[in-house]
Amino acid sequence: MQQREEKQLEASVESLISRVAHVKTALHSFIYKLENEYERLMWPTVLDNFALLSGQLNTINKLLRNEKTPSFRNQVIIPLLLSPDRDEDLAKLTEQRLPVFSHEIVPDYLRTKPDPDVEEQEKQLTAEAARIGVEVAQKQIQALNKLCSSLLEKLNNPRDEREAESISLRQNKQYFNPADTNTLVGAVAFGKGLSKCRPPGPVAQGHPGPGTMMGGTSALQQATIGAGPVQQAGSVGPQQPGQQGKSQGELFILGLFPWVRETLLKPYINSTFKVAPDPCVSYINAITCI
Amino acid sequence: MEAPPVTVMPVTGGTINMMEYLLQGSVLDQAMESLLHRLRGLCDNMEPENFTDHELVYVLKGQQGNPFILRARRSLSHPTSPWHLRYVGQPEVGDKSRHTLVRNCVDVAASHSLPDFLNEMGFRMDHEFVAGGYIFRKGAMKVLVSRVSRILVPGNTENTERVSSSYLVELSVLAPAGQDTVSEDMRSFAEQLKPLVHLEKIDPSKQRH
Repeated sequence: MQQREEKQLEASVESLISRVAHVKTALHSFIYKLENEYERLMWPTVLDNFALLSGQLNTINKLLRNEKTPSFRNQVIIPLLLSPDRDEDLAKLTEQRLPVFSHEIVPDYLRTKPDPDVEEQEKQLTAEAARIGVEVAQKQIQALNKLCSSLLEKLNNPRDEREAESISLRQNKQYFNPADTNTLVGAVAFGKGLSKCRPPGPVAQGHPGPGTMMGGTSALQQATIGAGPVQQAGSVGPQQPGQQGKSQGELFILGLFPWVRETLLKPYINSTFKVAPDPCVSYINAITCI
Repeated sequence: MEAPPVTVMPVTGGTINMMEYLLQGSVLDQAMESLLHRLRGLCDNMEPENFTDHELVYVLKGQQGNPFILRARRSLSHPTSPWHLRYVGQPEVGDKSRHTLVRNCVDVAASHSLPDFLNEMGFRMDHEFVAGGYIFRKGAMKVLVSRVSRILVPGNTENTERVSSSYLVELSVLAPAGQDTVSEDMRSFAEQLKPLVHLEKIDPSKQRH
């Protein structure tokens, strides 16, 4: 009879040890990941690890609750031999965590009661609980229950309502205005709606004078309107996406160049080339490189 | 003295023959703060830079009917830094498979005598505006959130008036032509800014009227 019980105990201890070892390896690898691979660790992986751990802890709990498992609580462990010397076997068993089984360590490791300060706190709580009367306690319990149930109600029921509310709020609120986008893009690209400042000169000829400043169509706007169809008619075949053909501006600048060189740049190049202002050089660079 | 030799072929491999991939949108003033918060979270880990720029658009009318346009920009907050001269080509909208606007782009730094030089060359200023706001970066992507103001008295950048009560939002990348991954990246980034901003390729030809 006793022998059978002993065997049972041994077997259950064995299986408990192996389960705990599983938890340990899982924890080990998880901590390793957290410390070394945190840069590419994905949240789903972290959740998987948590799930693994909780599953293993659940198995241990089941094992302890199993009818066949003898109650470990009834087993008494007595320290038979205490020694201040280093015990290699013990160190090996505990993976170097506990090298000595001495008087100093045993009270901590074989403790069956809570820590003294925890014990003290528990005592205080029990004293306090005993001090208040039964009626007061009942009242407090009722109040707490009421609070909890109302809180639960608040959490559970209107969740859908709130979600719907926030969605409609999000949809109704406007963050941008497409008309403003068009105004801004037009202003930046063509100067639409910007004041035109064209001093009388060759460019201003044939156009409305500076009198129509606000909102007036600029030379640029008019010219680019004309440029659209011209380019379409002039381009040979459809343009391949990704392979850009020469744009109107580039064709123009290539055609322009001899003229620029002959008429405009010549004085700079011939006479003041060495002291030519930076833009001159930059501009030549820009033109030659296109 | 002979004029320097001219190469007609585009220079490859340099920063010159680059395309600008562009998406544009706008955000109302009251949603601007939320947009800045979101951009702070999405973009590279840095505080957004402020800028205030004055842009002058110059036009040169040649023998052909089409004008040649150059954009000159200077920083109002850093008056000593160089001017920025930019040539922007005709934008290509492409079909639906391309997510962004693509246009040719040449950027050059220039000295402060740039306006005089352009005037000497026959360029005339067409219009000018002031743009101020914030720059964010995420890798090669650049996000500009800017307030665009018209200049009431020509040349006086102090006296300005806002064009609209929204901020212009531009997402752009400079890259060699034919880089589909760039526009793909930009599209997914733009997707993350919804519903605050809808960044789209806006066909400029529909903006002219």
